[in-house]
Amino acid sequence: MTGFLVRRVAGALVILLIISAVTFYLFYAIPRDPARAFCGKICQPETLALIRHNLGMDEPLFVQYWHWLTGIVAGRDFVQFGECPAPCLGYSFATQEPVFGAIVDRFPVTLSLTVGASVVILAFGIVTGMIAAWKVGQPLDKIASASSVIGASLQIYFVGPLLAFYLVDTLQLIPRPSYVPITESPVEWFTHLMLPWVVLSIIFTANYTRMTRSQMVEQLAEDYVRTARAKGMSNRTVFFRFAWRGAMIPIVTIFGVDLAVLLGGAIITEQTFSLHGIGELAVRAVQNTDLPMLLGVTIVGATAIVVLNIVVDVLYAFIDPRVRLS
Amino acid sequence: MRSHSRRIASITAVLAAGALALAGCAKGGGGGAPQGAAGTTQTPLENKAVSAISVGTAADSAGPAPEVPGAKPGGTVYMIDRDDFSHLDPGRIYLNYNSSVSKLFTRTLTAYKHEPSGDIKLVGDLATDAGTTEDGGKTWKFTLKDGLKWQDGSPITSADIKYSFERLFADFITEGPDYAETWLVPDPNKPFRDQYKGPYDGKELDTIETPDDKTIIFHLNGEHPDFNFTVAMTGYGAVPKAHDTKQKYDKQPFSSGPYKIVSHITDKSMDLERNEHWDPKTDPIRHAYPDKFHMEFGVQAQQSTERFMADTGNDKYAFTFHNAVAAERVQEVLGNPELMKRSVQGLTPFTTFYNINTKRITDINVRKAIIAAWPSKQIQQISGGEINTGKIATTVLSPTVLGYEAFDLYGKLAKPEGDPEEAKRLLAQSGNPNPTVVYAYNQTPTQEKITVAIKEALTKAGFKVVAKPLNPTTYYDAIGVVDNKYDIYWGGWAADWPTGSTAIQPLFDGRLIADNASNYSHLNVPEINEAIDKANEITDAAEAGKAWAAIDRMIMEQAAIVPEYYQTYFGLYGSGLGGVKFDPIEGEQSALDIYVKQ
Repeated sequence: MTGFLVRRVAGALVILLIISAVTFYLFYAIPRDPARAFCGKICQPETLALIRHNLGMDEPLFVQYWHWLTGIVAGRDFVQFGECPAPCLGYSFATQEPVFGAIVDRFPVTLSLTVGASVVILAFGIVTGMIAAWKVGQPLDKIASASSVIGASLQIYFVGPLLAFYLVDTLQLIPRPSYVPITESPVEWFTHLMLPWVVLSIIFTANYTRMTRSQMVEQLAEDYVRTARAKGMSNRTVFFRFAWRGAMIPIVTIFGVDLAVLLGGAIITEQTFSLHGIGELAVRAVQNTDLPMLLGVTIVGATAIVVLNIVVDVLYAFIDPRVRLS
Repeated sequence: MRSHSRRIASITAVLAAGALALAGCAKGGGGGAPQGAAGTTQTPLENKAVSAISVGTAADSAGPAPEVPGAKPGGTVYMIDRDDFSHLDPGRIYLNYNSSVSKLFTRTLTAYKHEPSGDIKLVGDLATDAGTTEDGGKTWKFTLKDGLKWQDGSPITSADIKYSFERLFADFITEGPDYAETWLVPDPNKPFRDQYKGPYDGKELDTIETPDDKTIIFHLNGEHPDFNFTVAMTGYGAVPKAHDTKQKYDKQPFSSGPYKIVSHITDKSMDLERNEHWDPKTDPIRHAYPDKFHMEFGVQAQQSTERFMADTGNDKYAFTFHNAVAAERVQEVLGNPELMKRSVQGLTPFTTFYNINTKRITDINVRKAIIAAWPSKQIQQISGGEINTGKIATTVLSPTVLGYEAFDLYGKLAKPEGDPEEAKRLLAQSGNPNPTVVYAYNQTPTQEKITVAIKEALTKAGFKVVAKPLNPTTYYDAIGVVDNKYDIYWGGWAADWPTGSTAIQPLFDGRLIADNASNYSHLNVPEINEAIDKANEITDAAEAGKAWAAIDRMIMEQAAIVPEYYQTYFGLYGSGLGGVKFDPIEGEQSALDIYVKQ
C-alpha cells in the first residue's frame, strides 16, 4: 500500500508540473499583452515597459516559469503588488490579490457546495437507482427512469433562477443562496446552501439513478449472483451483499471524477447563485486573461482530479476483494 | 476615466482588469429623466447641454451640501454589482466604477456639484474654491478648508496633498491618469519618471509649493487652463503620508470622506461605516445619510435586475453603481410604472464610433460615402434599442461635454438607416464607384449580426466589403497598429473631464499617431492640430468650449469617424431607498445623496 501511494503521489506531482508548464506557455502564446491592463487609458510606451518589468514579463519565458515555481516554496516580491509570501502562486492580474489567498478564501464555498450536493446526489441517486433495479419493469422503475431522463435534461441555469424565483422571491420559503461559514452558523450555512445543493443535485442525481439501475440490473444477471441464489441466499442478501458491491465499482469511479470536477469549481452553479467559489474564480480568470489566477485554479482542479483518482483506486480494494494494491 | 461599459467590456479585456473599457472619465451635464418622474412608457433622454457645466464660486464650494428633501440619516444601504472594485488607491483609479465608490472615502481638491436644476458646477472639495490661476493656467493655487480631517482625526494639510501628487511617480502606480505628472516635471516631452521618481527615497517635487499648512501652489511646465478640472479626477485624490502603505493601500485606503472601509473581502463584499471625523460643514457634495453601506459583488446584471424587480428583504434597500437593466428585461421594466418609479437613466460621458482609417482611405468623398451609407438605425436595433445602447450620435463630442454643439453634417438623424443614393453620388465624385473597404470587428454574436447589416448597407451603396473578424481579447492590439490593414473599425471614448481637450486631442491630434496610441483614425490635419493648440490655451471655460465645438465640426468635415452612440445608462434600485440619482460624470448611479426611507 505504501509503495503504491508513493508511486502515485510522485506521478501526480509530475502531472501537475506538466499541466502548469503547458498552461503557462499556452497563455503566452496568445498574442496579447497582459501589461496593458495595468496601464492608464492613454498608455505611454515607457509606462508599459515599466509594468512589464514590474511583472517580470521582460524576462525569458522559462525564467518566468522558474520564478513562478520557486515562488511556491520561497515566496516572491513584486514591484507592482508588493510581497507575496510562500506558498506564492503569484498575484491576480485582475484583483491584485495573492492567488493562493484567493483560492484558500473561496475553497470553503466550493467544498461546502460539493460536499452538500454529493450527499444529496449519492443518497437520492443510488437509492432511487436501487429501487428501480429492485422493481425492474414495474411502475416504480418506470417513474424513476422517467424522472432521471427529465432530470438529466434540465440545465442548472434554467432550474436555478426558476426555483429561486418561486422559493426565494415569491414564496419566501428559503433564504437567498449565499455562503455563511459553517463555523459562524451551521443552520444558516445549511439553509443558504440548500437551493444550490438541490439544483446541482437534480442533474447529477439523475445520472446516478440511471447508472445505479443499469449496473444493478447487470450485476443481478451475473453468474455469481445466480450461484448465490442457487445456494439459497435471500433476495435481500443477494441484492445488498453481492450485486450492490459489484455495481459500486463503476459508480465510485465516476463519482471520483465528478467530485474532482466539482472541487475544481461548480462553474455554472456558482455563477447562477452568485456564490464566490473556485468556479467563479475560474470564469473570471478566463474572462480577464488572468494568467496567475488561471494557473492557480487549473492546479486546484488538476490536484483534485489526481488526488481523487488515487483515493478511488484505494477504495477499489475495499469494495472489491479481487483488487489488490501493489 | 474609463467607463465600465457593457459593450466595451467585452471588447477590451485587454485594457483593464475585470473587463473594463477604454473610455475616459468625463463629466458632463448629461441628463435624463428626473428622479421619480416615472412614466408608463419609455422616457426620452435629453442631451443636457454644455452650458449646464460651469466653474462654481467659493460660496458654491462651502458645505454642507443642500439637504435632500425627505431624507433622514440612518440605516444600512446595500449595493449589488457584478464586479469588485479593481482599485481603491486613488492614484490607481481610472475606471468610473472605482471612482463612484471612492467618493465615499476619498476627497479631491475639486469636485462636481450637482445642482437640483441639473446643472453641474466644478467646486472646491478639499479646497475653498475651484482654484485660481493668474498666468493663463501655468500656476494654480488652492487653499484647503478649515476642519478637514483624516479618519484618525489628524488634520489634512497641504503637505498631504503635495505628497499625494508626489507618490503618483512611484513605479507601482501605473493605472491612473498621468496628466499632472507630465505637467509637473520640467520637460513634458521626456518620461516623467526619468525626471522624478517619487517620494519614497526622500526627495520632494519642487514644482509643488506649500508655503503654509493650507496653501498649495502647482507650477506647471505649460499653460493648462483646465487643470482645476484635472484635479477633480479621483486619480488625484488625497493620500496621507503617515498612512501610505504603498501597494497595500489599494486594498485599504485611509479615509478623508464620510465613510471608512471596515471590511473588504475581494470579489465578495465590502462594508463601510461612518468616519466620525468627517465634517459635513466642509463638504459641498456629500450627504452621508446612511449609517452603513454593505456592498456585494459577483451579481450579474440579470440577477440584479430580477432582485430589484422582486424587491424583497434587504434588496429593498439596495442600489447598484453600474449594473444596468438586463437587456431581456428592458421592455418589461419600461412597461411597468411601479418599476419605472425606481429607475435611473441618463446620458453617460461615453461615446462610440467607427474609425475610418484616413491613412488608407485618403479620398474624403469615399469617407463621406461610408458615413452616408452607414446603417446606424439597424445597428441600434440589433444592439437592443436606444434605451439599451444610446442615442444615435452625429458629433465627436458628447452632449455631456462643455462646449457641445449639436450638428448633423451628413443627415444621419434624417436618414439613420443610411442613404445609398447619396453615397453613390459621393463615390461617383471620387472616381471609384466600387471601392473595396476592409471592416474589422470583434467576433461576438452581436457584432456578427451588426457586420451583416453594415456589409449589406455598404454593398447597396456600391462598396465591396471585406469583413475581417478579430479576437475580442486582442482587438485593440490589432487596430492599434498604425500600419494595420483595416479601413473601418469600432472604438469608444469618454473625456477625462468635461472639456473638449481630453475628448478630442487624444483621438484626433495627428502628432500623437503611434502604435497603440488612441488616434485610431490616423487623422493628421495641420489645421486641426493647430486649432487644438489654440483651444488648449483659452482660459475662459465657455470660450474654450466654443473652440472645441468648432474643432468637432472640422473633424466631422474630414469624415474621420462614423459616430455611433451617445451612450445611455438605465438601471433600477430598491423601493426602500430615496435620493438614488444618475451621475452624469461617471455615467452610473451615485451614492452621494442616497438615504433609507424611514
